[in-house]
Amino acid sequence: MTTLTRPEQKAPAAPRRRRGVTQQQRPLWLLTPGGVLLVLVVLIPLALAVYLSLLDLDQYTLRRWIEAPFIGLGNYVESLDSGLLHSIWISVSFSVLSTAVTVPIGIAAALVTQNAYRGRGLVRAAFLIPYVLPSFVVASVWRTMLQPDGVVNAWLAKAGVDGGLWLSGSKSYWTLVLVEIWAAWPFIYLMALAALQSVDHEVHEASAVDGATWWPKLRRVILPYLRGPVLLACLLATLNHINNFTLPFVLFGAPAPDDVNVMPMLVYVTSFQGLRFGLSAAMAVVSLILIAIPLYVYLRAVRLDVHEEGGRK
Amino acid sequence: MSASAEATRLLPRPMLVTLTVLLCAMVLVPVSYIVLASLNSDVGVASGEFWPSSFSLESYTKIWTTADLSTGIVNSLIVCACTAVASALLGTTTAYVLVRYSFLGRLTILRGLVGLQSIPGTLMLLPVFVLFSSAGNYLGLTVIGTRWGLFVAYLTFALPFSTWVMVTYLRGLPRELEEAARTEGASTLVILWRIVFPLSLPAIVVSGIFAFLLGWNDVLFASVLTRPETHTAAVALQIFGTSQEGGALPVYSQMMAAALICAMPVVLLYLTFQRYLVGGLTAGGVK
Repeated sequence: MTTLTRPEQKAPAAPRRRRGVTQQQRPLWLLTPGGVLLVLVVLIPLALAVYLSLLDLDQYTLRRWIEAPFIGLGNYVESLDSGLLHSIWISVSFSVLSTAVTVPIGIAAALVTQNAYRGRGLVRAAFLIPYVLPSFVVASVWRTMLQPDGVVNAWLAKAGVDGGLWLSGSKSYWTLVLVEIWAAWPFIYLMALAALQSVDHEVHEASAVDGATWWPKLRRVILPYLRGPVLLACLLATLNHINNFTLPFVLFGAPAPDDVNVMPMLVYVTSFQGLRFGLSAAMAVVSLILIAIPLYVYLRAVRLDVHEEGGRK
Repeated sequence: MSASAEATRLLPRPMLVTLTVLLCAMVLVPVSYIVLASLNSDVGVASGEFWPSSFSLESYTKIWTTADLSTGIVNSLIVCACTAVASALLGTTTAYVLVRYSFLGRLTILRGLVGLQSIPGTLMLLPVFVLFSSAGNYLGLTVIGTRWGLFVAYLTFALPFSTWVMVTYLRGLPRELEEAARTEGASTLVILWRIVFPLSLPAIVVSGIFAFLLGWNDVLFASVLTRPETHTAAVALQIFGTSQEGGALPVYSQMMAAALICAMPVVLLYLTFQRYLVGGLTAGGVK
């Protein structure tokens, strides 16, 4: 895993000297402040979360949680009857749908800002706005616009359409997807733009010499360059969608309408409004298992180490 | 247009123009709505006006008395600044060892740093909440509702993230200077303080800014771990928003002014450090 394509001839001299340094005086004690803090604030809570999911923990046992009764997998069984499967379905479909729509938008935005023209700086800055705005601001603004008497319904009424309710009922799911798309597409745009800029100029010139028109050139020459980075961005974007709590919470409030009861909302409401901490810990652990699959693929694909250079494009 | 620029053009001109206009409209219509609505009157916004029938800056003065926004902003600034400094400094030291030295478990730590950024916030909040609320019982400390509690809670996300940002930066830093200093007999601490810190200052600032933004943008932790007097700006705005419905007259114009005020520090940070931050976004790969 560590040395994949290091040049053979350089191997004897350089690494030995380096190993000499690293073996003799590795200042590993420098890891202590950051490491101890990481263990304290990350690892212990994570382990505790798993343990809590096995306890019958509610508002009465919370203050003395160590003595709370141990009920094994009871919380997991109960969570199946508490809307967990429904929430998993909502979360997964919402995340996949949002990612699927943001990809073409993001790539299109990268394509139109690839070439320099007057005012491109402004367009690029504008494209970043939805991403830079804090989620709670975005959600507050859309919540205002989508009020029954708000500006969206006023415009729809002018077009002769009755907008109806956006923030409750069955349409709320589509509201959530739309706002998430509005806020999240610049991430794909940024990743696609970075990939686009790494395409060599010769590639462009070669296809120009070949006389390729724009669509075959785009499909057969340029888009293959984008595939890897955009797929990686998709994984990450989907993970971010699944974990997004702020948007549904600020848009709809807690408890959320049934159609937008995504995993983070379910866990939040179960714990901090239902005060069933053990049960919600079980739900949170399930949501961790849910994201483990895309996360595993992502961790395999991302470049972790200095020594992996050349091993992965 | 020169021939070489012509060669790199990817879309025919009419399509390019149409797409650019569409994308800009998609972004700018809601954004200009925020600005226009904040300049409108509360009645005008509530009746669905896009273009205000009368302009005034009244909302920007009224909002400070309507909602407790100033407390929220001060709290946010204090907690997020502490988070930023702590995680950037500790992150740099940790990242330096992770990049420069090999040891058992190093790859696991690196993988963990990336993986932790995708852990659901709710999963981390639960145990933190339980620990904090029992601290009063077992240790005699009040943690929930204090800024300290929030600071520790934000470190759970900011610290791995800052460390990872520094790892991606430091591995691109040539090690010749450090090795030269080492042959001169400099100790690791001196090297770190005199060479690594100054050379990676832009990256340290970026990782600090990201840590700051993680805190500033958070609603989940702050909504559970704060009391009214320790509310952050995000929670103040969220509560203000929910309190509008069912009331006599919703003050949506003031709400949009508040939203803009809350977004302002973030926008300013981005404008100032745009070049570095966008690079960091794609390197760290996380918002």
